[in-house]
Amino acid sequence: MGAALRRHGWSYLFVLPTFALFVVFTLLPVVQAFVLSLQSARIVGGEFIGLQNFVTLAEDPVFRQALGNTVLYSAVVVAAQLTLALIVASLIQPLGPRSQTFYRALFYLPLVNSAILVAMVWRWIFNANPYGLANTVLGVFGIQPLLWIGSSDQALAAVILSAVLTIPGGGVVLYSAAMGSLPRELYEAAEVEGAGALTKWWYITVPLLKPTTLYLLVVYTILAFQVFERVYVMTNGGGPNNATITIVQLIYSTAFQFGRYGLASAMAVVLFIMAVAVAVVQFRSLRSDVEY
Amino acid sequence: MESDAGVKIDRRRFLQALAAVGVAVACGPAAAPTGTSPAPSASAVVAKPVSIEWWRRNYTAGTQSAETVTSDGAVKGFRDRNPNYTITIQGGPFGPETDQKFDIAILQQKAGPDVFHTTGGDNASALTATTYKGKVVAYPLWIVPWFEYINLDLFKERGVTPPKDGNWTYEEFLDAAKKLTFKRADGKQIYGFAHANDEFAFMLIDGGRLYDTAVKTWTFNSAEAVSGLERWVALAKEKVMPPDFLTLNPNDSQARFISGEIAILQRPSAMINVLNADPKWIYGTNWDIANFPKGKTAQTAWGGVGFIAVREQADADKKAAAHVFAKYLTGPDIGPDLKKMSPPIEYWLAPAARTSAAGIYGEYHPAKAKVAKMGSFTYVLPNVSTWSEIDQKYLRPARDAALEGKKTAKQALDEVAPTAQKLLDEANK
Repeated sequence: MGAALRRHGWSYLFVLPTFALFVVFTLLPVVQAFVLSLQSARIVGGEFIGLQNFVTLAEDPVFRQALGNTVLYSAVVVAAQLTLALIVASLIQPLGPRSQTFYRALFYLPLVNSAILVAMVWRWIFNANPYGLANTVLGVFGIQPLLWIGSSDQALAAVILSAVLTIPGGGVVLYSAAMGSLPRELYEAAEVEGAGALTKWWYITVPLLKPTTLYLLVVYTILAFQVFERVYVMTNGGGPNNATITIVQLIYSTAFQFGRYGLASAMAVVLFIMAVAVAVVQFRSLRSDVEY
Repeated sequence: MESDAGVKIDRRRFLQALAAVGVAVACGPAAAPTGTSPAPSASAVVAKPVSIEWWRRNYTAGTQSAETVTSDGAVKGFRDRNPNYTITIQGGPFGPETDQKFDIAILQQKAGPDVFHTTGGDNASALTATTYKGKVVAYPLWIVPWFEYINLDLFKERGVTPPKDGNWTYEEFLDAAKKLTFKRADGKQIYGFAHANDEFAFMLIDGGRLYDTAVKTWTFNSAEAVSGLERWVALAKEKVMPPDFLTLNPNDSQARFISGEIAILQRPSAMINVLNADPKWIYGTNWDIANFPKGKTAQTAWGGVGFIAVREQADADKKAAAHVFAKYLTGPDIGPDLKKMSPPIEYWLAPAARTSAAGIYGEYHPAKAKVAKMGSFTYVLPNVSTWSEIDQKYLRPARDAALEGKKTAKQALDEVAPTAQKLLDEANK
């Protein structure tokens, strides 16, 4: 150990800046959140109250609604985004290299847009006014306008639909890159056996993409758990009758509007535990030993 | 509520203190409040140069926003009278994050701006920044009432008589809103009424109030409050509001009024300047303002309140200068001073209830002359530190449920009451 340290000690200097930034801006805030979650912390003062914040959350119907909305949003959006990314990447794959690059860039480019601007556009699309774009389209087919984000029954569905209809550019690029490295001999063998395109896709492509799928599943799930700006902008932060309120939206309002840092930290801890638990389950169920 | 001096005071005493300061300021500069170290008069400190900092929401140096122009004008006017003072203006976006940074600076670090602009209740710093004999005090700046903007063209088109002298009953208002909700031959839908989802005025008109007079008991589920909410619900049932009325924000509602889609719009006074700047909107010809509709009790309105507060600090010179400046910002001289500037600057938006400081306000515009009289019947929200939580987390969703017809008005308000009372008790600890 001592010899190794003497031999490679200087190399730690190179990782020190990154490690220091990680500790200061990531690790310490997480630890601080855990500490605050056990306190009645407000702007000034606060005392240790044990698990009382968690009891408060369990009894709070608004938090339970936020929890349910977050889980529903994540389940639908993650499943839809993974499926969409896989389908789009599969459609790009047979194209020539230049076309593939073009389409990868095309699907990725929207990601550089401000999330706020994108949410504002969706707000306009799903406006309850008859002149909202979605209602205009429905009108073309003779369908009566819907209330969309203006109704507590439809607002969450509109928010989810806005996320589902946004092509996940990052997923398309990752799937597309992964497909490019799949071994050709497997497809050639399948062709010899008379397998069609769909059979090859289902029995070769999809299973071999499991590592990429696992990565995207975990990342998209965490991102979905953290949904905020879409809800904040589209439905003024929670929608009619709290219909679209999510955990991060509630953390924001609890900390920065109501000044309850302890309670907001307890929500953040719950979200953290949820994310870790779901990621563990995802890793265990999708873990793959396939190497190619 | 605990003051800096460690003396416990309740909301009522806080409001009484504010009212006392209001009276003091209204009586003239010499009667202004002082902290534990009295603020000397302007002449006593005239020779010594002092620099202080003023925190002003939405101020952005170099821009032409109303906040920036009026704030720069205010500093210039003050410095013309007090050349030994230097005022630095700190800006920040209007929003809870800015308020919290500010609260942290003042309350945790005992630092931050010497003079600041606050709306009171939700700001922890506003409740503890300045004390006078153990009571929290601030200089009252304005009361901003919400009232009705009416599109006279649409009234004329539908043959609806505008309310005489701006007065109408709820029944007359509802009748007008119904007649003004129609579809033109070209398919354009016009709605009789819209609000921007930011006030509870209807719930006041039959006598409903949030709290009892001591601000100890939540009373917004009284029969009067329920009746007020039912009147609001009736507007939704009659479909006189746009279908997205539950998510309509101030900018959208204003834009729709200006585009002629809304006949009656409920907004505060800042929109007067917006309409006045538009050559297509001529006051008295195309638009007018009217009082909030009257219910079972005397005329009432919903309003916001603004204060100028001075931070407690050890530096006596800065503290004294801050009080002199705060007095100027809320006193009778600033309006005429800014009006004399070239070009003339209209000082601030709606000092409705302050006749001493607001005398000039009515001279800016005939609509403002009407607004200046509304302060006397405007219900201003008492300062309760947990109000944001009561309002946003529980009361608004309950109101939405009633407006959507998912709950009766009584069910909705009764469900909120226990939680609201708990949060009120917490604020009163």
